[in-house]
Formats: sequence, structure tokens, C-alpha cells
Amino acid sequence: MRGPAFWQRISQRPDSRLTSHFFGAMFDFGILTPAGADSLIHLSLGAIGALLALGLGFVRVYAAKYAVLSGARSPEPYRIAVLGDDLFLIGLSMLLIALLTLVVSQSLFPDERDFRILGPLPVRRIVIFRAKLAALFLFTGMFVAVLHLALTPLAVLTSVSRYSEHMVVSRLLAWIVASVSASVFSVLAVAAIVGVLSLVVSRTRLHSFTAIVRSVILALLVVALPFVFRLPALGRPMSLHATWLAMLPPAWFVGLQRALLGSPDAWFLQLAEIALTALGAGALVVASAYVLLFRHFEHLLLRPPSISAPWLSRDGDRSRPRTMSVDSAQIARSAAFRAVYRFTSATLRRSELHQAVLLGLSACGVALTSSRLVGAGWLKGVSSENPHAAFLEYLALWTPFALMFIYGLGVRAAIALPMTHRANWIFRLTETDATRSEQMRAVERIVTAYVVGLPLVAGLPVLWSVIGLKQAAIAMLIVAFVGGVFVHAVLLEWRRIPFTCSYMPGKRLIVYTVVPGFAAFVLFAAAGVRLVRAALYATEMAIAIGLVLLVIAAILRRKRVAEWKEAPLMFEDELPDQPLQLGL
Amino acid sequence: MLEARGLTKRYGGFLALDRVDFQVRRGEILGYLGPNGSGKSTTVNAVVGLIDPSAGSLWLDGVHMLDDPEGYKRRIGYVPEEPHLYTHLTAIEYLMLVGRLRGLSEPALTVRVPELLRLLLLWDSRYSTMAAYSKGMRQRVLLAAALLHNPDLLVLDEPFSGLDVTAGLLFRTLLRMFVSGNRMVLFSTHRFDMVEQLCSRVVILSEGRIVAEHDVASLRATGSPSLEDIFVRVTRQTDFTPLARRILDIVEGA
Repeated sequence: MRGPAFWQRISQRPDSRLTSHFFGAMFDFGILTPAGADSLIHLSLGAIGALLALGLGFVRVYAAKYAVLSGARSPEPYRIAVLGDDLFLIGLSMLLIALLTLVVSQSLFPDERDFRILGPLPVRRIVIFRAKLAALFLFTGMFVAVLHLALTPLAVLTSVSRYSEHMVVSRLLAWIVASVSASVFSVLAVAAIVGVLSLVVSRTRLHSFTAIVRSVILALLVVALPFVFRLPALGRPMSLHATWLAMLPPAWFVGLQRALLGSPDAWFLQLAEIALTALGAGALVVASAYVLLFRHFEHLLLRPPSISAPWLSRDGDRSRPRTMSVDSAQIARSAAFRAVYRFTSATLRRSELHQAVLLGLSACGVALTSSRLVGAGWLKGVSSENPHAAFLEYLALWTPFALMFIYGLGVRAAIALPMTHRANWIFRLTETDATRSEQMRAVERIVTAYVVGLPLVAGLPVLWSVIGLKQAAIAMLIVAFVGGVFVHAVLLEWRRIPFTCSYMPGKRLIVYTVVPGFAAFVLFAAAGVRLVRAALYATEMAIAIGLVLLVIAAILRRKRVAEWKEAPLMFEDELPDQPLQLGL
Repeated sequence: MLEARGLTKRYGGFLALDRVDFQVRRGEILGYLGPNGSGKSTTVNAVVGLIDPSAGSLWLDGVHMLDDPEGYKRRIGYVPEEPHLYTHLTAIEYLMLVGRLRGLSEPALTVRVPELLRLLLLWDSRYSTMAAYSKGMRQRVLLAAALLHNPDLLVLDEPFSGLDVTAGLLFRTLLRMFVSGNRMVLFSTHRFDMVEQLCSRVVILSEGRIVAEHDVASLRATGSPSLEDIFVRVTRQTDFTPLARRILDIVEGA
């Protein structure tokens, strides 16, 4: 037995200390105050509890499903269901691990900050790289282990049947090997993308380019989430060896699982080969990126920033000033508007975290609406053969409102998160009663474009395809007017310049946020659909509804502009139970 | 003239500033010295309007700060101690942001910003985000931001940290020329050499109170002890030899 002294020696080695430091850094997003970090821990614990409850819910559903399948007269339904569920279990772990790796992708490779902090210390570069790699394995390994532990009851349930061709233990082992391999592939795929970007993109572009790529991948993964829950339905195409399934990564690893179970089926063996090749290719790219970064670290990560970068904004580089014949107060107001507008758009363009929050939440909206539309047969078109035609029409009307609500949540969450909080002194120094409402108008413009503009663009093709162009145009007008009112709900009590106020997550119990939020979502979307249906009934009705919404929006806006002039901006987030500051 | 009368700041039970009175006259650079925790940054934050004093008042050219807070802020340029900047922006974007927040017109900004960047040797890095800048480069951006709106009063909190020799020389010359135009500088620092070279008067702060106020030129003329000697005496700093000995003993393992 190794004694405590041995473990103490191990833990005090530079490798172990650095690994522990890098492991901790994977949880550090660099935006929270100590109080905010505490709140985040509580919030995370709540989320883990919710996930466990969800897992238990799945077990109940699976137990009922497989009890029915075991009682069937033929083994065929069971085999098809097992194929679909194997695809689902592997696909789900791949997606969740990819999401997790993406969230910590800023810590996958040693970067300039590591080099500058650790470079002067007597630590060899190989130790830094080893520690980074070990932290990555530790972090992802921990989540892979927890995830598979949580999914094991489901895997067992799919194996216990009189029609099962294999022993439970061997099926379980094959599933674990295939699913862990699939998870490793997810980690490698994300790491390979980040590694290649670090190697080939110039330092000037690296930050903004990586931010965009990460946000796009995040959005795609979130959109894929509801489709992963539809994977059990692919059991039949799997059993029929549909060739298009070879393009679906989870199918490769189901092939590997079947190959490990000794299946002689050539199709499964071919899928297994693809899985192994993909794993090898991912490992090769990641290993090459690590080796290249290790050997040419200074050259690759400390290269001087380019002095000419035409893709970046050339704000202020215009040689001919425009003449303006306006008074100084008006100049100050329009300057205040431009300052906040451009600051907000530049931050959303460059900050990975803010992009991730905005696109991640927006992708949830796209995932929810597209999954429901596909489920109702939208891709098959509207015809008398579609048994869900009426429901599809409802969904088409519901889509822009659902998107509007979720985009509203996304944009509000993104602009509420701080960016370099201590740099906000310049906004605090320059705040004036005269310009505050212009600054808030800039926020309103951005929120309106995102919350009203994008759902209109996304909803029009859906509505056009389901109810025709003329009806869709009327519906879109009503959606726009509703959006005009909804923007005021998004900006209710909003007194911040985006990214300049500190943020405290979990200010109230999660259930107090989720339940009213969900109820508001359901009511808002349902009310929106009713309004559109009423407007589609008669032109006079459409005009009346449009006018009423317009008046409401105008009244709300006037009230809010007056409030902006009175109330000072907020730069420090407050807990709701803190005493109200009257500021008298 | 900037005048602080009985400036007091309490944080709960802690008295950070205790009835501080001083003046910054036109054409003058006032040195503001004090050990860590003496209340220098609190004074600076109160002067620029980042915190509200618990008591006392600030007057700029005879006008109470609270009578026209916006006009007061418009006349002040500020370089903070730490280069807290939005480092995801480029220098051009940051200066345009500051200029717009200060209410400058676009034509004025499109002339001033590129020129300032050229003169402060930041032009070659104009398209890089400031995350890639050294501390000295960030300090230069902050100085440009403080001067952009042509203020009457510059409030500088340790502005020379991170600057190289050339930039330091440029800054000193710039500050002298700035006040020669009948403007004012409040210069908070730890560096005696800078105060002796730049300032006409010096105020020394200790434990939130002003403990000395001297005319630097007359100090030199009368052959008084050095500013550092005066500082050590009035702020009751003791002989550091035993403390230094103990530190070395610890690291040498004695």
C-alpha cells in the first residue's frame, strides 16, 4: 500500500500542481465576482439535481417500453427498438460531451497567457504541455464517467429481454467501449478544430475567428439536441442498412458496438471501420497540433499582431470628415447613441462568452421550433395526406412568437453579462441625464433588430410554405406589431449599458425563474397565435389589431424614455433581497 | 481653480478621507503623495466623480460640482492607476467610444483619433485589439483618451507606470505644456523624482489627512531636506533597516 506521504509527494510535484491549476481554470469564465462565483456553484448544483431527476424519469419510460417489447410475439420490434436506442444513447453522450468540450475549449491548449505567466518560472515547457493534456483528460474523463454512470440503467434496461441475443454483461461492456470511444471522438473533434485554428489563423484574427467558429458549432450542437431525441425512431432504417446513416457519427459507433459483440454483418463492420478511422484521424490531428505548438510555441502564439487587418473595423480612419450642421447638444446625443451601439455590436462580434450565450439560447429556439415543425410533417408539405395539417398550421403561426420569446431571453442574458467589468469607469464618468436616453435607445435598437427582425426573417418562409404568401404577409405584420410591444417586456426595468454591469447568477431560486418563465412563454405564444388568427379572419380586424398594438407600443415607449431620463444607470448587480436604495 | 473643501469619505466605520482641503491652481501641477492606503485614490475617485464624498465639497472655478455635475465632468480628463480598458476593442475603437461618450462630433473625432494614435506611436497597432498591447501601450491609450476632449483639468493616478523612457519624457513635456496653457493637473503618485521634476506644489497625505503641503521650488531654494526625507518624516515612516533584515532572514532561512 502506498502511504499518505507518497501521495503528498505526488501532489506537490510541478506536474500535479499545474494539472490542478489548469483543471480549476476550466471552470473559470473570468466574468464573475466572488459573490457571483458562489452563486454559480449553487446554480450548478441545482442543475445537476435537475439532470438526475430527468435521468430517473427516463428510466421509468424505458422500463415501460421494454416490458411491452419483451411481451411481443416477435423479436423484430425489440431488435429495431434496441438499434434505435443504442443510436440514441451513443448520440446523446457524443452531443453532451462535445458541448462540454466546446465550453472549455479556451483551455484545451496552452496559450499566450500560460506562456507569459509560467515562462519566467523554472517549469519546463514539456511539463506545461503535459499538465494541460492531463487536465483535459481529467476534466472530460470525469464528465464521460459521470454521464455513462447515469446512462447505465438505460443500457441495462435495453439488454434485459427474452429476445436479447447477448448476455447483459457483454452487451453492457460493448456499449461502454463504443460509447466512450464516441465521447472521445467528440472531444478530439472539438480539440482538432481549436488546434487547427491556433495553428493556421494569424494572431490578430485568432480571437475573433475562434469566437465565431465556437459560437457556430455551439449553435449547431444545440439545434441538434432535439433531433438526438428523435434518434430512437431511426431503429428501422438502421435495421434496413440505410446508406445515408453512414453520414451520422453515432451510427459509426453503433457499428463498433455490434462489431465488438461479434456481429458478422458487413454493414456494421464497415461502420465500425469508419468509427476507428475517425478516431485515429482526430487523435492524429490533435497530437500533431500539440506537437507543433510545443515545438514552435513562441513562433505560433507570440507572433506579432499584423499591422494591417482589412477585415477589422476601420472606425475613425476616414480621411474626409463629414460636415454636420447641428447644435452641440444634438451632437452629444447622437454621439452617445453611436458609442453604445458600436460598443455593443463590437463586443457581440468578439466576445466568445457573449456570443455563446446569445447563439446558444437562440439555437434552443431554432431547435425547439424546427423539431416541432419536422415532427408535424413540415418537410412533407401541407396536403390532405398530412394527418397533422391543422397542427402544422398552428405551429407555423406559433414559430415566430416562440423564436421571439427565446431570442428575447438570449439577447437579454447576453447583454446582462459583464465584459471587463472594471473598465466601465469610462461609462460612469460620462453618464449624463441628457445622453442616457440616447444610450438606452441604442440598446433598444439592437434588441429590436434581434428580437423582432430575426423571427420575422426566420418565420416568413415557414408561414409562406404553410399558409401562402398573402396570409403570411398579414401574419408577419401582426408579428412585427406584437414584437414592438414585446421589446418593452424584454427591456423592462433595464437601466444598463450592455456588458458594463456586474452580474450575479442565481439571484432567486431556479424554480421561481423557470416556472413563471415557462408559463409566460406558453401564454405569449398562444396569445400571439390567437391574434394572428383573428387578423387573418378579416382585413378590418387585422387593421384594428395592428392599431391597438401600435398604440400600446407607443405608450410603453414614451413611459420608458421618461424613466430613462430620470433613473441613473446601473453598474452593480444587486440581490433582490437587498434593501431598496431610494437614492434620496 | 479646483478646490476641495473638507472632503471626507467614510466606508462604513472606516474613515478613508478626513476633512481634506487642497487647491489646484490654473497653470499648476499639484503633486499628491502618500503611502498606500493613505486616501490618494479615494481623493482621485471623488474628484473625477466616481464616488460621492460623505462630506465636503468640490469647486471648479468657483462653481460647486453638484450645481453642474455634467459640466464639471466634461472639463476633466482622467488617467486611472490601473489600465482598465475594454481590451477586446482596438485603440481606434476605444478612443472613438470615449470621444462619443464625451459628446465629440464625428468630424472632430475622425481628425483627432488617428492623429493622437500616430503621435503616441500606436498607429502601427491600430487594428490589433488592446489585449495584445503592453502596459505602456495601454497607458498611452488612456492618456490619449484623457486628452481627447481637451479638458481643463487632468487627474492622473500613477500615469507613468509601464511607460518606457521615451514615452515618459514625452509625457513630462506634454504635461508641462498642458499647464502652460493655463490648465491644471492633479498628479497622484508614489514617485518623488517625478513630483520634484514636474510639480510646483506637493500635498502629502497620511491616514486620510493632509500632513504637509509644500512649494517644491522653495523647498529646493532653501536647501531643505529632500522630498523623500520630508515624506518619511511627516508620514511617520520608521527606519526600515530592521524590517528589511527580517525579510532577508526569512528568505535566507536564518
